[in-house]
Amino acid sequence: MTGYALDVRDLRVTLAGKRILDGVSFRCPEGTVTAVMGPSGTGKSTMLRAINRLLDLNPEARVEGDILIRGRSVWDMEPYEVRRRATMVFQDPNPFPHMSIYDNVAVGPRLHGLARSKQELDEIVRWALERAMLWDEVKDRLGDPPSKLSGGQRQRLSLARALAVKPEILLLDEPTANVDPVNAVKIEEAIRSLVREEGITVVFVTHMPSQAVRVSDYLVFLYGGRVVEQGPSREVALNPSNPLTEKFFRGEL
Amino acid sequence: MTRRVSRGPLSRLLRRVRGVRSRDDERFLLLHLPAGLTLLLVILAMLGVFIAYSIPIISREGLHVFTDTTWRAVEGDPQAEWYGLLPAIYGSVYTSLIAVLIAAPLSVSLAVTLEELTPRRLRGSLSLLTDLMAATPTIIYGLWGLAFLAPHMYPILSWLSNHASWIPLFSKHPSSGYTIATAGVLLAVMSTPFAAAVIREAYSMIPLSIREAAYSLGATRLEVIRILLGMIKPSIVAGLALAFARAIGETVAVSLVIGNSMTITPSVTDSGITVSSLIASQFGNAGFYHYMASALFAGGLVIFAIGLAVNVAAVWYMKKWEEKVVGVAS
Ligand SMILES: Nc1ncnc2c1ncn2[C@@H]1O[C@H](COP(=O)(O)OP(=O)(O)OP(=O)(O)O)[C@@H](O)[C@H]1O
Ligand SMILES: [Mg+2]
Repeated sequence: MTGYALDVRDLRVTLAGKRILDGVSFRCPEGTVTAVMGPSGTGKSTMLRAINRLLDLNPEARVEGDILIRGRSVWDMEPYEVRRRATMVFQDPNPFPHMSIYDNVAVGPRLHGLARSKQELDEIVRWALERAMLWDEVKDRLGDPPSKLSGGQRQRLSLARALAVKPEILLLDEPTANVDPVNAVKIEEAIRSLVREEGITVVFVTHMPSQAVRVSDYLVFLYGGRVVEQGPSREVALNPSNPLTEKFFRGEL
Repeated sequence: MTRRVSRGPLSRLLRRVRGVRSRDDERFLLLHLPAGLTLLLVILAMLGVFIAYSIPIISREGLHVFTDTTWRAVEGDPQAEWYGLLPAIYGSVYTSLIAVLIAAPLSVSLAVTLEELTPRRLRGSLSLLTDLMAATPTIIYGLWGLAFLAPHMYPILSWLSNHASWIPLFSKHPSSGYTIATAGVLLAVMSTPFAAAVIREAYSMIPLSIREAAYSLGATRLEVIRILLGMIKPSIVAGLALAFARAIGETVAVSLVIGNSMTITPSVTDSGITVSSLIASQFGNAGFYHYMASALFAGGLVIFAIGLAVNVAAVWYMKKWEEKVVGVAS
């Protein structure tokens, strides 16, 4: 074991002929949160999609470089295995509208045969909803459609759905961007306790420096398709060595 | 400031329609109302004619015209005439159900194939082909069924009735390829492009974010397709309702391949008849008899009612679905 849950090496991505990522490298130690920051349009979302091979779906995407999950290259795995081990939560909440709250969470475990009985499935669903800090609010109406939830609740449902497949890595793409402050705090808490108690490794894209400091152990700052600075979050945030990072934290980028 | 306008009685009437607030709204309504109302009137007039023309046979036979199996046309002796539509009604429903059962997997597969599995370059020409299939006149399908499908179905149906006659579906040995099964298959081929178009449209509207959500749980391509198809169930139902409507209304193609015999049989390897093909084949002779035309109109009324019922059921299902998904119920 390398001790790294995720090891991104010289990742290069072009979309429709346009270079988006130009040699990105960073490593995430097992059981830590890495915040990825950078101005809009630098390719943060694209990077997450490259990591779990969602970019395979885009015929115009070309990905080079290596990505190792617990020491194994994603190119040596089936794409669906990669995506199961590194699930993603998106910028906008996207629960399946035609499934009940329960089924949204159960769909992953069902796909992967994680439960041998209804009771086991119930337990996984409950575990995931508790982990996403949603259980108390929905436990009496698991049969409701997601349309009856608020936006923030829907985002936590998306988180629960991703957790229910028991991933090793969680890729979070600005999960609090479209969510009110109360829900944002809940999601942050959920992430911290997931890492602490379940040992999951998190890559967390965020725009907010304060959030990055609160939630993450390490910080990666992307600019123009490259990593311009990385290190322990507090150090980078309090004492940026790169002028670009400093400017970003002052809100000037 | 708003200009004061004196409003005439027409204007006052128009303003009672919800959403009409301005002169422009009134004009818009006046422009579109006549066309819409005309169409509605035509449909009502059609229904009226069918009811009116059905009255002679219904007042003579009562509801037996719908439930009886005898079809007796006697020239010059109206008292001896007797018309029972049940075999034709049965055949219409039976062939259309077979068609929908076959069209269901076919149209879903066609939609998925075009949307998911066809390379972008080929998609255009392939969808043009399916549009062409939908636009092809039904007589063309009929002739194809007559000359190609029926003779090729015959050995298959014979084999089935030889080896599986214990299944009621294949109990009768076919005397030719002109059977209920042939009609059902032909109707399925004809209505699949329509159902597929509706399903495809809905499938292509599924947001990318939902698709990505499914993939990012580690679903394989087929599993993703299954999840996405679950999401457009109402459109699948709507597409199949359309297919059913087309199948039950089809006339000439069916009459060319079904064998046109007034029988009620569970065996798809037997020949049969449908209301539409009965009307098409008999209406030319109806003038020689006193009640036959009226009986055929009554048959038209039945088809109309069944088509309406299927559509109402489909709409009802979609509404239920909407309530479930969007949560507007109660
Ligand atoms: N499917 C695509 N095809 C072509 N270009 C794309 C595609 N998706 C994104 N891009 C481009 O790639 C660049 C990076 O986009 P990306 O969404 O990764 O940025 P981001 O850092 O996540 O931005 P934000 O903070 O606004 O979410 C942008 O310039 C965008 O225009
Ligand atoms: Mg983004």
